[in-house]
Amino acid sequence: MCGIVGFFAKDNQEAEVGRTIISMLRALGCRGPDSAGVALFGLPNDDRFVVRVKLGEGRDLESRTQRIASCLEMLPGCSHVSTNASYARFLTNGETDLLRVTSAVEAFDKDFEVVSAGHRLEIIKQTGSPDNLETTYRVSQFKGTHGLGHTRLSTESRVDLSHSQPFWSHGFPDLAIVHNGHITNYHQLRRVYEQRGVRFYTENDSEVIAIYLAEQLRQGASLQEALHRMLRDLDGSYSCLAATERQLGFVKDAFALKPLVMTETDDFVAVATEEIAIRAALPGLYSVREAQVREVRVWQK
Amino acid sequence: MAEIACGARPTKDINAEIWRLIAAGDREIVVKQPGARHNLGVGLLEPVRIRFAGSVGYFCAGLIDGPRIDIDESAGWGLAESMMSGEVVVHGSAGNGAAAAIRGGTVVIHGDAAARLGVSMKGGTVLVAGNCGYMAGFMGQRGTLVVCGNAGDAFADSLYETICFVGGSIEGLGTDAVVEEPSQEDSTWLDSTLAQYLPGFSRRGNEFKKVVAGRKLWNFDKREWTVWQEAL
Repeated sequence: MCGIVGFFAKDNQEAEVGRTIISMLRALGCRGPDSAGVALFGLPNDDRFVVRVKLGEGRDLESRTQRIASCLEMLPGCSHVSTNASYARFLTNGETDLLRVTSAVEAFDKDFEVVSAGHRLEIIKQTGSPDNLETTYRVSQFKGTHGLGHTRLSTESRVDLSHSQPFWSHGFPDLAIVHNGHITNYHQLRRVYEQRGVRFYTENDSEVIAIYLAEQLRQGASLQEALHRMLRDLDGSYSCLAATERQLGFVKDAFALKPLVMTETDDFVAVATEEIAIRAALPGLYSVREAQVREVRVWQK
Repeated sequence: MAEIACGARPTKDINAEIWRLIAAGDREIVVKQPGARHNLGVGLLEPVRIRFAGSVGYFCAGLIDGPRIDIDESAGWGLAESMMSGEVVVHGSAGNGAAAAIRGGTVVIHGDAAARLGVSMKGGTVLVAGNCGYMAGFMGQRGTLVVCGNAGDAFADSLYETICFVGGSIEGLGTDAVVEEPSQEDSTWLDSTLAQYLPGFSRRGNEFKKVVAGRKLWNFDKREWTVWQEAL
């Protein structure tokens, strides 16, 4: 199970991305009661990166909230610090290496984890339903250009905030994925990446997709090429959506075992596990079709 | 003609109302704003006409015996699964596993069909005006599968006695699938069936490719071990 959704506004710079993604997710809530999350692309922050940090789970959230504010004061180029529930958010200026930002933040406290960073990407996720996510973070207020969403039914790893989706590709700005399925050669791939010094934050097999795509993009592949290479290098059954600062793409596995439907109009592209999500969020006349086996599509601004 | 407005009503209510209207003698029902809900119109056993004025979700018109069901937009997974008789017409596209294991009746898809169309058919007719995806016709036992456009990879894999026709190209044949010339009888049947269900379609029956079982997998023979190695 699991439900994935993606929305891409073709021209509108201030589309109701948050509202659309959350109402798509609500329609797929029954596919994934364990957790819900979104990756939203807002307006550009010129050269600055927007960084979102998980403060930790469970008790003493309040003391950690106070702690991060004083910690971030020590971080050069850090501004606009705000906190909300389990997250802190800030902008950083002058730093180009996101891995350096990530390790500086995470060095303050072992529970701190950078869940997203980029010029426009913001990931918000937590355990529970899409309704809970909306109540806590008012996701529907978010305006922007495109976004991803995920409702999770955990089958292979634990249920907590870090194991929820979307996943940011640690260190690569603005790259996020959501995934429905299983990557059956996950352990082999993980071993290879760990030998190269890549840190894995979770035991969720979806995390390796983000790391894999980042590696392909670093090597100069386009998102289209990277998603095609996934069909060669990642085994299992999967429907996967990936988004960068200006793109939304999907890939469907070689056995067509996981659902994924899509529609495209003059104004928007919507992709979802089930059509019910698209119809619930987007009124109007358009036709929806299931993606074919091994199909890869990328839309770009 | 009776109408049901789905609005925010739960699927159970909508299906119960369909059953109630049929029991009260209604023979034509329009279901408005189905909103791609799952499990609509399953197990209907009367020769009624039902129109879903929009998209339906998974398993629509499964296990039916007799009705004519029209879907104005697209259908999700498992459309008309295991139907016994009747007609199901989708004016948009269909998701994975459409017309799987049908025993009779006719399924018409005006758009494209996704993966595993008409797998394990035991009778009936499936007509697709557009293209079909991966693994269509897998292990078909009886009945006829017609794809007017192009067929995807692994087409007609491990067939028994289902007969397949393809108007366009075939991306890849499945194990033991064999292409034949359609007979005069086949082409007459195709012409009349297409005229009945897809009257706008211009290609003639004799332009179709016919795909049947090569019968190499019907009985195990140790001397043909290489055939089995490929199949498995």
